[in-house]
Formats: sequence, C-alpha cells, structure tokens
Amino acid sequence: MKPLNYFLADLPPGTSFSPTMIAEACQALKHNRAQYLASKSTLNLIETLADVAADWCDPHNPIRQLALKDGPAATGFSAPVLARGLDQFFGQLTADRLRQLVFQDLGHLDRLDRFVATEPEHQTRRLALATSPELLVHITAGNLPVPALMSIVLGLLVRSAQFVKCATGTSWLPRMLAHSIHARESKLAACLEIAEWPGGNTPLETVLFEQADCVTATGRDETLTALRLRLPPQTRFVGYGHRVSFGYVSREMLSQSEARQLTRAAARDVSAWDQSGCLSPHLYYVETGGTIAPRDFAEQLATALAELEAVEPRGQLPPAEAAEISTRRAVYELRAAQSLETQLWQSPQSTAWTVIYEEDPRFQTSCLNRFVYVKPARNLADTLQQSAAFSGRVSTVGLAACGDKLRELSTALARWGVARVCPIGRMQDPALPWRHDGRPTLNELVTWTDWEL
Amino acid sequence: MPTSITNYLAELIPLLASPATPLLDSQFDQLARQLFATQFRLVQPYRNLCLARGCTPASLTHWTHIPSVPTASFKEFDWTSLPPDDRTTVFHSSGTTADTPSRHFHDARSLEIYERSVLAWARGWLFPHDSQRLELLILTPDPGTAPHSSLVHMFDVIRREWGTADSGFAGACNPAGQWILPHHPVRSHLIRSQAEGRPLALLGTAFLFVELLDQLRTDPIPKALPPGSRILETGGYKGRSRALPKPELYRQLTECLGISSNSIVSEYGMCELSSQAYDHAAGTPETGLNRTFRFPPWTRAVIVNPDTNALASPGESGLLRLFDLANVRSVMAIQTEDLARAHPHGFQLLGRATTAQARGCSLMGP
Repeated sequence: MKPLNYFLADLPPGTSFSPTMIAEACQALKHNRAQYLASKSTLNLIETLADVAADWCDPHNPIRQLALKDGPAATGFSAPVLARGLDQFFGQLTADRLRQLVFQDLGHLDRLDRFVATEPEHQTRRLALATSPELLVHITAGNLPVPALMSIVLGLLVRSAQFVKCATGTSWLPRMLAHSIHARESKLAACLEIAEWPGGNTPLETVLFEQADCVTATGRDETLTALRLRLPPQTRFVGYGHRVSFGYVSREMLSQSEARQLTRAAARDVSAWDQSGCLSPHLYYVETGGTIAPRDFAEQLATALAELEAVEPRGQLPPAEAAEISTRRAVYELRAAQSLETQLWQSPQSTAWTVIYEEDPRFQTSCLNRFVYVKPARNLADTLQQSAAFSGRVSTVGLAACGDKLRELSTALARWGVARVCPIGRMQDPALPWRHDGRPTLNELVTWTDWEL
Repeated sequence: MPTSITNYLAELIPLLASPATPLLDSQFDQLARQLFATQFRLVQPYRNLCLARGCTPASLTHWTHIPSVPTASFKEFDWTSLPPDDRTTVFHSSGTTADTPSRHFHDARSLEIYERSVLAWARGWLFPHDSQRLELLILTPDPGTAPHSSLVHMFDVIRREWGTADSGFAGACNPAGQWILPHHPVRSHLIRSQAEGRPLALLGTAFLFVELLDQLRTDPIPKALPPGSRILETGGYKGRSRALPKPELYRQLTECLGISSNSIVSEYGMCELSSQAYDHAAGTPETGLNRTFRFPPWTRAVIVNPDTNALASPGESGLLRLFDLANVRSVMAIQTEDLARAHPHGFQLLGRATTAQARGCSLMGP
C-alpha cells in the first residue's frame, strides 16, 4: 500500500497545528461540501457507505489488512478482538440498515433530499425537509473506536462536512475509515478531516468551534459540561456522557445447559473491545434460586473467559492499567481469604481476565480490561435499588429471561431509565439504527423545515 | 509483649543505630523470616491471606516471597498484632474526611522503633554536615491539631532532635479538616530568618509548598534565604491545590526562596510504613538529573510487573512493593499503588496506579 498521507492525522505524531491551519481546513471542508457532498442524494450516499463497509468486511481489502496488521500496536487491541469488533460494526452497515435508520429517525427516506410528507404530515397538510449542519465537528474520547466511526458515517449520511478531533492516541482507526472512504470516493473524503491533539488546546478549539454548526462529543461528564460552555450560543451541541452497562440473569435461565451458553455469551460481552466501551458490562446480577447458583455462574464465566482468551487475547496494557487490575485483585484476594462472601478467579501470570464474585449487592464499577463482577440478586427491584446511584446513567442491560418475565423486566428497566435492553452476548453489538443513549441519532443532527400548504 | 517480638527487637535495634552499614541479603532474609513468622502467627487476617496463598514460615524460600498486603487494605483491615487496649497511637492516611482512612497502630514500644527508624535515616539526608541545631519551619499543622498524621509526627520527631527552640509548625486546619497555610506568620518567619542571616529548613508537603509559592508570588520576600537553608518536600497533592510537576516546583522554590535544587530534598513515605526514603542529601552536589529514592538498609523495595506479579526485570517499570523490618507490630510487606522503576541504588517514582485513566468512557468509582 502507498503511504497514507491525506488527513491531518496522517502527519507525524507531535506535529503542531496553528489556528490558521485549522480555520483553513474548515473553509476547505465547507467549500468541498458545497461543490460535491451537498447535492448528493441520500440513496447515493447509502450506496457508497455500504460499499465502504463491504470493503472492510472483505479479507482481501488492503485497508482491512493494514488495520489488522498494524492495528494491535496502534490501538492496543489484539488482532482477533479488532477483527470481531470491525466485522460487527461494518457487517451492520448495509444499504438496508442505513435505509431503515433514515426511515426510522426521519420518517421518510427522501427527507434530506426534498420536501416530503408522512401520513400524519399529509393529514395536517404539511411537508417537511431536514437540513444538515454545514460543518459538523466531532470531539471523540477514549480508546473505543466505534463511536468515532459511527459519527463519521452519520455525518456523511446527513451530508455534512466533518472535522473529527480525536483524543491523543485514538485517531488511528478513524483515519483508516477515512482512507477507505477516500479509496471509494475521493471527493467524499475531501469533505472529511481527521486530526489528533490533546484536548483543551484553546487556540485551536476556539477556531474549530467558531466554524462549527454542530458539535458532537463523547467523554467524561465534566468534559462535556466544560465543552458546552465554550461553544458559541448558536452552535448545536450533542453530548454523549458517561454510561455504564450491566447484565441481569433471571433464575428461569439458570439450568445447566442454558447457564453454560449464557456464560459463554457473557464472556463475549466482556471481551468485546476488551470491555472498553459504555456498552460493556461492569457486572452481572444473577438471580438466586435457579439450578445454577450465582457463584457457579461466576466460575463458569471465568472458564469461558479463559477459553476466549486463548482465541481472542486481550490487548497488551500499559503498566498503569495493569497495575490498576493487580491492585484491585490484591484487595479481593484478601477479602476472599477472610470470608466466603468474596471469591476470585483470575488468569494465571497475567491480568488478562478477572472474575470477582461478591455477595455485597451494591452496584460496583469495574476497572475494565476484562475485569468483571458477579453478584447475587433476589429480584430486579432489589437490584435497581442497589444501583440507584447509577439511575439514568445505564446504557445497556444484557438481559436473560423468558416469557412474560422478559417483557416485565424490560419494562421495569426502561422505566428506571435504561437506554437499551438486549440479549446477553450482544451488548457491544447494537443494531445500527439504535437510539444512542435513548435519542434518535440522525434527528440530533438535522434541523427541520415545516412547509404548511 | 510476645517473646518472639522481644527477641526480634534485640536484633533490629542495633541495626537502626547504624544506618550507614549495608545489610547482606542473608542478614535481611534472616530478620525478615523472623518477623514474617511472628506476623503470620499474630495477625489473623494476614495469616488467612498467607494460608490462602499456601505460604507459611516453614515453606518460605526467600524474603521476596513474603505475601504483601495492599496499602488500600489498611482502610479495611486492622493490620496489627497489638490487642485493642494496647493501641495507644494510630496513624491515619491523609485524604478527604469522607474516606475511611488507612490505620497503622502503635504502642509505646513500636512508636519508639518508628522514631528510631525515622531519626537514623533522616540525618544523613537532611542534616548531613550540620554540627548545630537548625531552625525548622514546618508548614503542616502541629501534632495537637493533627494527632493522627504520621507525617506530622515524623516532623515533630525531627524537630525535637535537630530543631532549635524557636522551630515550630506554621500550618492549620480549615473546617473541612484540610491543611492550610496561614499567610502572615510564615512570611514574617521568612523575613526574620533573612534579617538574622540564620539558615532555615522548611518542611512540608508539596501542596503546602504550592500554597506558599502562591502567597510569595503576590507578596514576595525581599531576598533569598541565608546559605544553608533547605527544603524537605513530601507527598502528592491528593486532589488539592494546583499540582506542579516536580522540576517546576523546584524551579519556583529556587526563584522565590533562593534555595537551589541541591538543597531541596524529597521524601517518600506513608502511614503504613515505619521507614522513609529520600532522594538527595541536602546541600550536596546534584549527582544527575534523575534522582532516585533510597530506603534505609532495614527496608527493601522491589518492583513487580503489574501484569504477571513477578519481580520486574532491571529497568522495567512496575508496582513498588516494600519490605520494612521496622514495621514490627503491623505487616512488614506492603504492596503500594505507586509505579516505579528500579535503579542500581534506588527507585524512581513514575506515578500512581489508581489515578490511571480508564479506557473507554466508563465511570470509575462509585
């Protein structure tokens, strides 16, 4: 492959940018959008995006090959973890799913192309057109690449010029996606910029925010609050703050054979993207009274994590993150030595995976990197009470239940403020049109014009 | 006191009197085994841990294999062989009042060992060439205000041993229990020291020095402190004040007080230990840019690979694990949360494990 040199993030690490460079890049993006992207049809964009996604799923595609070869060093994920994560993400990105997303969020497939009416609009003698922001700026944080990749896809779909500002050390996969778009349709890539600098660079960010019509950001709640205050009042802000996720297993699902399947599925949730995302489970609540007790569930989960480690190893950790795991393990090892209320299973001679069984029912956040808790639950109401501090901050609950109880528990979780309920094993693999943090994603970006006849 | 401890102290105390004499590994091993056997027998939760690991005094092959307890567990367990009625002194970790603090218990005898350990090792670093007492200005609150601070106790022990009669504590506590530095007394102390030409030793935590620098910036003192003045700085910032990288802290201290960096000494210690490490002898020429901390011969530091928990290879960074033979009535093997790198004669601190950012966007906590 030719050396990749097109985006700001392709420049050697440590390259410094000036506010003028950023302002000029934004102007160029807007110009290119006006020349090309603004007049593209939704269907045409969907086709291109589906083609890009198909490229990523093709084992012979050079960018996919590069991602799997250099990705482990660049991102900290092992090649099998990257392969699974990328296959899940791009596998969903089909023309059908993209059409369903537009239809679901905007009510009509042509909503971004021309004035159209849905049935209720028709009945009220109205048409409506959704318009996208001219320049969309994404501020991405953290190691998990999916939110940044998704932001780029959504931005293209609504035909905005986009500037993606990545946190230090996290621009590599967004860059690869941008290059794969460039390989398919270079003029589309000319409406996209990827750059990386440490957050809080006020001179650069001030220029960027002045140019932006809409800013999306993921990150810590305090970061988002501070960011919002720095935006001009007319600039739209879409923030995705901290979320945690957990699993809940109902006693009816705890037969010998079902428990085995469930723990394997749970191990896939824990190991997907090495547990680094908001959708990754911190803990599993397991109801008491099933054939398999919560402690046995924990032990089986440990077995499943060990099996998975052999085929999808966790990435190498920097010393500080490994130290966090070994420090926590030491505390639980001590507790386990004193009382049966705590038990610990861990990978030998490495921090690759850890399962802590703890009878203390309080919600416990994990230090991640495949470190997971299992706690007994009497019933969901009890569990939610123990998790009260996280109410409204839970993204996904992986739920194992059946029959009427499945609907009943899902409803209780929804009323409690959970944004997504899914089967265990699919926590890190949301459906493409899912409403991120409970809000329709495309709708967050566009502005509507109602035309009353 | 159990006979085993009496016997152990009879061997330890002579060592504390000769800090300049290195200890052979075999000597350290023999003492460590002796102390481990006592602590295994007398500290029940520690015994449980050792048994869970399959490590007993009989099976122990080398002192480096003595099971360590994490510093965080001092908040949860009473790591002591002292019966409740004998616990006459308790040192707490600093931190916010909302936290349960770490606890390290002493009786009169173990406090005396602690003090011997402090004094034996501090002298060579803080007062290497001093034949006379020195005036000490200690920036923390006094022992009456902070009775459970091992740091304040250590400063007081140093003050009694080497301070002039007019040495004292300048700090105070705010209603939230946080340490603060009243402005005027400190400033007048500094000016008096300048006027009289008497060297001054300033002792305090890094954040109190930052507070002092903030005060001196708005209200500078006219001249540098007299030659022979020095600084002992310790501890992190614990989320308070502005955190300054150490070179920057030193640069500003030199600028505002006229004390050059070769008269600034850094100390590493914690309430869970009975010995401290220092990184430079006051007033001696700097040996290099990267200072390393050194413990006395009766305390050894090893670096463990945080991923494998095995001893790190030379030069590899990892978690600092300490074996303090002066931790007689507690547990001698302590697993810290500090990342460090070993050097031939000491270790270099790199940061803390618990402040590491979690990957992704998940919460740490609760």
